[in-house]
Amino acid sequence: MHLNLPFGAKGPWAAISILLVFISGVYSSASALTSEEILTIKAYEKVAPSVVNITTQVCEAEFFYCATPSITGSGSGVVLREDGLIITNRHVVSGAQTIRVVLSDGRRLEARITASDPDDDLAVIKVDVGDKPLRAIALGDSDSLRVGQRVLAVGNPFGLGQTLTSGVISMADRTIRDNETVLKNLIQTDAPINPGNSGGALINLDGELVGLCTAILSPTGSSIRIGFALPVKRIKAAAPELMHPWHKITGWVLVILLAAWFLRWVYRNRSRQYDME
Amino acid sequence: MRCTRILSSALLVFFLAFTSLAIALTEEENNNIELYERLAPGVVNITSTVMEHDFFLNVIPRKGTGSGSIIDSRGFILTNNHVIGNGKLEVTLANGKKYTAGLMGSDPDTDLAVLKIDAPKESLTVIPMGDSASLKVGQKAMAIGNPFGLGQTLTTGVVSSVGRTMRAENGTLVEDIIQTDASINPGNSGGPLIDSSGKLIGITTAIFSPTGASVGIGFAIPVDTAKRIVNDLIEKGYYSYPFLGATMMNLFPDIAEVLRLPVKAGAMVVETTPGGPADKAGVRGGSRKAQIGNNIISVGGDVVVSVNEVPVPNADTAIREIRKLHPGDKIQLGIVRWDGTSGTVTVTLGEKPRGVRARQP
Repeated sequence: MHLNLPFGAKGPWAAISILLVFISGVYSSASALTSEEILTIKAYEKVAPSVVNITTQVCEAEFFYCATPSITGSGSGVVLREDGLIITNRHVVSGAQTIRVVLSDGRRLEARITASDPDDDLAVIKVDVGDKPLRAIALGDSDSLRVGQRVLAVGNPFGLGQTLTSGVISMADRTIRDNETVLKNLIQTDAPINPGNSGGALINLDGELVGLCTAILSPTGSSIRIGFALPVKRIKAAAPELMHPWHKITGWVLVILLAAWFLRWVYRNRSRQYDME
Repeated sequence: MRCTRILSSALLVFFLAFTSLAIALTEEENNNIELYERLAPGVVNITSTVMEHDFFLNVIPRKGTGSGSIIDSRGFILTNNHVIGNGKLEVTLANGKKYTAGLMGSDPDTDLAVLKIDAPKESLTVIPMGDSASLKVGQKAMAIGNPFGLGQTLTTGVVSSVGRTMRAENGTLVEDIIQTDASINPGNSGGPLIDSSGKLIGITTAIFSPTGASVGIGFAIPVDTAKRIVNDLIEKGYYSYPFLGATMMNLFPDIAEVLRLPVKAGAMVVETTPGGPADKAGVRGGSRKAQIGNNIISVGGDVVVSVNEVPVPNADTAIREIRKLHPGDKIQLGIVRWDGTSGTVTVTLGEKPRGVRARQP
């Protein structure tokens, strides 16, 4: 380790300095990709198996009683649980006669709606995955999102197939109003979101779900780079109810138990009266 | 002495830290700026002028604009076939100089064309060709072009998907299309799509849009396809494709089940060109029509299950395998007939009939 540098640094210091120069040199020239690209590629590869394409067939009541399948729609969905529980937008699947899910490995499976939440435009559908489990997406934190932060949208625009688009967070807390519904606290992004992206994932560069692409503002019906996503916080809040729709049953069970207890009380009181007589 | 060593090392570390901090731009921005400044002179505007007669028989020029990339210091320019049209071609370099361009060759099947201008070597910036096979979804894609005839414009985005197929204007299949969310608009056609190391990865060709302007879904012909045909376009003026002379459709498992075929997937021959290579070799096309669901399809033809022992699950794969070969090559088609028999047929590929614009160098 006796390197003579023009400025006179010798020994371990010289070695460290050279190492530093070397590292910084390698860092900038080793791969042709920039660090941002590497992050994007990794994030996409992490979530790609967890985003599914959804095609629906809606048969509208018509004169000939639906002799031909009338309208087909397309959307996207995000895998919540490995056993085939998928979250999507309610408007993607509502009213559909058949829902078909195309997984990233190419499998086409029939799905059924297990629960839906009209307030948040959320629906949970279930597919039978057999012995090949799906890859569940990692849920991120939508509260820590900052305007300007990079986000990626993965979905199925116009039914073309899985597509990645990128952009930034344009606004973190936006309330929009459709004809009848009001959607609150949405994330606004300039990543191109088009019809068919609905129900798809909006992810951060760590590959975590931060939102569910839900709506766009556009005079033309296709992206003008104003897209809205439902924050993952709301999905987390709604998920337990959507995944286990027990609250409906719980209510009925309570009513029946109460009724049974009341009948028992009435019966006992009556029988006591008989005893006294 | 020790003090100076520490000081000098500290200085070095500071120097290193400051080279990256002093510039207020991020790594990404620097990369964009550096590439644009280096490669923008290699992107040209192409105007195709057709003389038309209006209602009063006055001659009026109708202009179409597009973009192109300089791919060789001899003045060869790569662009889209649909940009050149049938008109008189004029190329404007980034420095504003205009040249009349000659047409070296065109290929409607991949929507590519090569032009030539006689410009001095020093005014030509060549855009180096990269490699589109190793592209990853998520990596940066930059488009330089002439959207709406506005003049040179840079747009950036990411690679949105790879490996998709697209139909060219004449209906033939273009494989391995690159999809990007960089804004691509009318007039960008023929321009380069560049990766972060400054290499040409695609030729921006089409957009998917209900409105006619960019909705964040743009398509580019991969540079690997261009590399395959460009030399032939320069030398001969055309690219000769192998010709099987059979129209095939995808055989999906559900259709195969309905038709009670002995195979589950493959490429079903719908019809054969009479006297074509497939017809001569004894490949049979469809013999009668059948309605399945709400599609009427021609059934009874042979099902191609392999090409040169490569299994083909659908018609696109079969076409892709055949495209790898050249006219005159012999291929082994593994086919399954409707009576349940199977076997191999040897077909000598012909040359695909061409309908390209005459060369005018």
